[in-house]
Amino acid sequence: MIASHVTTQMTTGKPAETHHRKRRIKWGTVARHAVLILLCLWVLLPLAWVVLLSFKSKYDGARRYIWPENFIDPIFANYQYILSQPRAVGPVGAVTTNSITVTLLTVFFGTIAAVLGGYALVHLRTPGKVILTSFLVASMFFPTQVTALTGIFQIQQRLGFINTTWALMFPYVALQIAICVFIMRGVFQTVPQDLVDSAKVDGASSLRTLAGIIFPLVKNGIVVVVIVLFVFAWGEYLLALTLMNDASKRTLAVFVANSTGGVGALDWPRTAALYILAILPALVTFAIAQRWYMKGLQEGALKG
Amino acid sequence: MAQALSPEPHSSARQSRPGWWRTARDFITSYPYLIPVLFFFVGWQLLPIVQSLRLSFTDDRFLDNQAPNWIGLDNYRTAIQQGLFWQGIKRALIFTAIFIPGMIFIPMIAAILVDRVTNNKVATVYRIILLIPSMIPAPLIFVLWVWMYDNYIGPINYFLVDRLGWFDLANAPLWLENNILIYFSIAFMEWWWGLGYHTMFFLAGLASIPRDLPDAARVDGAGEWRMFWGITIWRLLPIILVLTVVRFGSAMAVITEYIIMQGFDRNSSTYTWTMYMYDEAFRTGQQFRGYAAAIGWLGALFMLVVVAFLFYIFRSRD
Repeated sequence: MIASHVTTQMTTGKPAETHHRKRRIKWGTVARHAVLILLCLWVLLPLAWVVLLSFKSKYDGARRYIWPENFIDPIFANYQYILSQPRAVGPVGAVTTNSITVTLLTVFFGTIAAVLGGYALVHLRTPGKVILTSFLVASMFFPTQVTALTGIFQIQQRLGFINTTWALMFPYVALQIAICVFIMRGVFQTVPQDLVDSAKVDGASSLRTLAGIIFPLVKNGIVVVVIVLFVFAWGEYLLALTLMNDASKRTLAVFVANSTGGVGALDWPRTAALYILAILPALVTFAIAQRWYMKGLQEGALKG
Repeated sequence: MAQALSPEPHSSARQSRPGWWRTARDFITSYPYLIPVLFFFVGWQLLPIVQSLRLSFTDDRFLDNQAPNWIGLDNYRTAIQQGLFWQGIKRALIFTAIFIPGMIFIPMIAAILVDRVTNNKVATVYRIILLIPSMIPAPLIFVLWVWMYDNYIGPINYFLVDRLGWFDLANAPLWLENNILIYFSIAFMEWWWGLGYHTMFFLAGLASIPRDLPDAARVDGAGEWRMFWGITIWRLLPIILVLTVVRFGSAMAVITEYIIMQGFDRNSSTYTWTMYMYDEAFRTGQQFRGYAAAIGWLGALFMLVVVAFLFYIFRSRD
């Protein structure tokens, strides 16, 4: 910035104009931050509204005004209610366990598949690379989740997986596998082939090369894949709704989405508390992994 | 692809083997790594696609407990004659047309602004805040905005009615009940949701612009505006085109939003071909899966034709 500033002065030789320019740049900075802060407010205000709602009393929760006359006392009472009496608001405990199970399975198997697959597509002499890659790309443009929903139902039914929550991980991984393989492919491409080859010359097997030499270099990319899978599995709705007839076999996201009536045991403030509890796991995961996630994105995860 | 394959270190020893031997060896050493991918991809992606295609040629009804009969193209013929199907396509297209510009250009502007923030910590804070919505489970995004748009407890109409006094309760905008407004309401929600994620794509694109290029332009006296149209937009064009195609695909196939925000109301603008498919397959009558599969395939074919067309015009402009 400063360097270009000096050059401008030298080439034009008009200090007055430089002064003018300096002022304009400052206005630009102000405007830039103003727009960005507006965008951030747009993102944060709806969420802040829900947080506020979760601390309201039952009476205030059903009123139009935003700032409550009385907060609920004690302040975490709505959260306590959800956590201590899950039975009263339906199968919260069961659906939470379901969500955790299916999310962990999806993340685990999806990540392994994506890492191994991306490695084979970049650093190994894999016959049919082009065909495989084009199949994966094509699948990203096909509305599988809608068009093949009847097919997924039939397959799960034949395998006896209707109302079997953990088995949701099969379609979950399948629906995200193309994007995850591409993220890993982008990251693996930043690892020089020479490194892989020299390891081979030294007599390391391909698995050893992956685990010992490449893995540390693609850790950040793996974080991106983990988060993609986590957010998808934790929040999938359509398949969990369709393949599970029994409400207690569904996932937390489906339960929360379907239980917003604002009456009975789940009045608005309690629903809001349940809502915050339901979005926290993914947000906490993101907060913890945020640094590596950002690095992973920069390291080529977005090239896919 | 080809340049990824570097010469094999012991090539002289391998040359004595026939070509098929080498291919077989490569196959054995590489495909174990692909087994997990192929297991999931073939089992729950390709197979369901084929299965639903097969279903679409049958009269399979889930609840009638009878073996399905092959009825050829009958389902397709029926669907094409249904006004509801074409109306569904039309509604999806209108939503997509409203949705795509905001989903591309708001994040692009955000990325250009974030990219110029010189303080790294501040820039990171912006990125993290913008990314928060993309970490929220999809159905809960929709629940949140059902609240936002609610005419009674919703904060938007609270401001418009109670604070600004632009409307009263009787004529306040019904964001989700009005059949035209709802396109914009849902698109606005999607922009909120996708803002951070798409900004990251554009930031990656901006990072690939060599730093000396804008500097040189600045020395030549180019203003911000000219620099944007002269340099930045051309560097970002590939990203814009890819995102347009990808988002076309997701916007045309939207369904969860519609189910949660409006339910299966045939008169709502949200009753698109995807809702029609789901309604026929899992909700109404004897759950006519064969017919539903045909609707799904017609919608998919329609989308693929448009995607192919988009690829064609974008390619010729490169």
